[in-house]
Amino acid sequence: MKALMVKSKKWSPEQKSCRLRQSNECYGGQVGRRLLFHLMLFAALLGPRCLEAAITPDGQPGWFVDMGRFAASAHGTFSCEQCHGDMKQGQTMHPDSENPAFLKVDANREYDYHRCQSCHKPSYEQYLKGVHAKTLLKEQTDPAAGSNKLPAEVGLYKTKKAPTCGNCHSGHYTKAHLPRVEIGREMVSVCGACHPAQAATYLDGYHGKAAVNLGDKNAAFCTDCHGAHHSVSLKDKKTALAACQRCHPEATEGFAQVVIHPTIQDLPENDKQKRAHVALIRIVTVLMSILVILVVGFFYGHSFVWLLRELHEKLRKHK
Amino acid sequence: MTIQVKQSPETFVRFSPLQRLLHVAVMIGFTGLAVTGFSLKFSDQWWGSGFAWLVGGAAHLAYLHRFFAVITYGCVVVHIIWLFYFKLVLKGSITGAQSLFPKIQDIKDMFQHMGYFFGKRRIPRFNRFTYWEKFDYLALFLGMNTMGLTGLFLWFPEFFATLLPGYFINLAQVLHLYEAILAVALKFVVHLISTHLRPETFPVDKSIFNGKTTRERMMDEHPGELDSL
Repeated sequence: MKALMVKSKKWSPEQKSCRLRQSNECYGGQVGRRLLFHLMLFAALLGPRCLEAAITPDGQPGWFVDMGRFAASAHGTFSCEQCHGDMKQGQTMHPDSENPAFLKVDANREYDYHRCQSCHKPSYEQYLKGVHAKTLLKEQTDPAAGSNKLPAEVGLYKTKKAPTCGNCHSGHYTKAHLPRVEIGREMVSVCGACHPAQAATYLDGYHGKAAVNLGDKNAAFCTDCHGAHHSVSLKDKKTALAACQRCHPEATEGFAQVVIHPTIQDLPENDKQKRAHVALIRIVTVLMSILVILVVGFFYGHSFVWLLRELHEKLRKHK
Repeated sequence: MTIQVKQSPETFVRFSPLQRLLHVAVMIGFTGLAVTGFSLKFSDQWWGSGFAWLVGGAAHLAYLHRFFAVITYGCVVVHIIWLFYFKLVLKGSITGAQSLFPKIQDIKDMFQHMGYFFGKRRIPRFNRFTYWEKFDYLALFLGMNTMGLTGLFLWFPEFFATLLPGYFINLAQVLHLYEAILAVALKFVVHLISTHLRPETFPVDKSIFNGKTTRERMMDEHPGELDSL
């Protein structure tokens, strides 16, 4: 179900965060839960896409934590207080109904993710060393770096905000111990929410087709090259080669220059070499398309007219 | 190429046993390549991933694709050896009027034949191989070599990336895909229609399978060759 959630383009982890006003609303009533269960059962019979629609009829995940899904998640055995202990946002209670921005704050910017490290220390430390954390630091020191708009308003990518834990991992719904391929498929859509061109080019290449489409667990997903939590860009040639060599031990420097994401999206202006390679790949693609269309078009026309002519002759003979 | 002596007054041998065997082998190899290759390319479609599932996943799909590639390119190698044998030992002509070698006359034949489509001109007096047969042969022969080369790039990227810059692997990928689309679009439609499915030959032109053709068909389809005998 999580995988299905992630597939939705409108999905953003921020929208899933609990915005509880009163705890009983958060849990929902017994009747509500039973109704939800039946709705889900009905939706499951109709097909996976409807399942999400049943939970959120307008296609948007709701404001309240879906306790059924929460219970099935990795954190399902936790009580709310274990992660949301003090229920405070700075000095004020969360949520502060006096605040003009009441219920408009981005939960992923407000939540204190230090709490995650009490259980996920290695991941947290890796994150701090990684590119996403560096971007976050830049954003915090330079408020102009990120837009203050909510991802729901402008789309996740356009906020230009660095992802925190909660932007990639849903604290309420992520399941534990999923098979590698399932995690990977989810990862591609999570990463792809901010890096759409990279996700598209990945899916167009062999790695993406074998891993995501055919479920080959030996093929590379995003973090197999870019590192989990480190999230390195691999613009550095040595780092890139080391990443290749994890699966291709015979890889050399030239091999690391194979263009995995043939797109100029997010490429720095001064990366002339890669820009030239991407341009060349595009030119060859366009030229080959033109060749295919011309040759196939001519011979299809040729065959079709020929068929008509012979049919005409044959029918005339039988008159 | 060889015009063998007629076996009976009414029967001519059009294709030797080796040529027939190679045609069947290429037919199997080419179809296998197309199915396995496009199953990967369109693995986001149900039929692509469905076929991949049927053969046992991405690794098996890759294995099968290379297996069929070896069969198909093996045919090309055998054919090239045979061409040398034909030229050097049998002293045959591989560029003459009755060969598959492209000539200016083929372009003229094509325009005349297209004139016939519209009832303006007569069917040209074709030699042993018509222009569309030559195109079919040459497109496949050249295509198999370029597909083989780009395919090797994708089979052994580590090795080729030591010889050439990395983006050549990307270019090989693009060329391999578009040539595959071209080959499949031509072979499975144009070749099938022009040699098998048009009313004159429907449902199948057996001469590529049993090697034989009749005097009547020779007069209709290859009068130029008949004259040269």
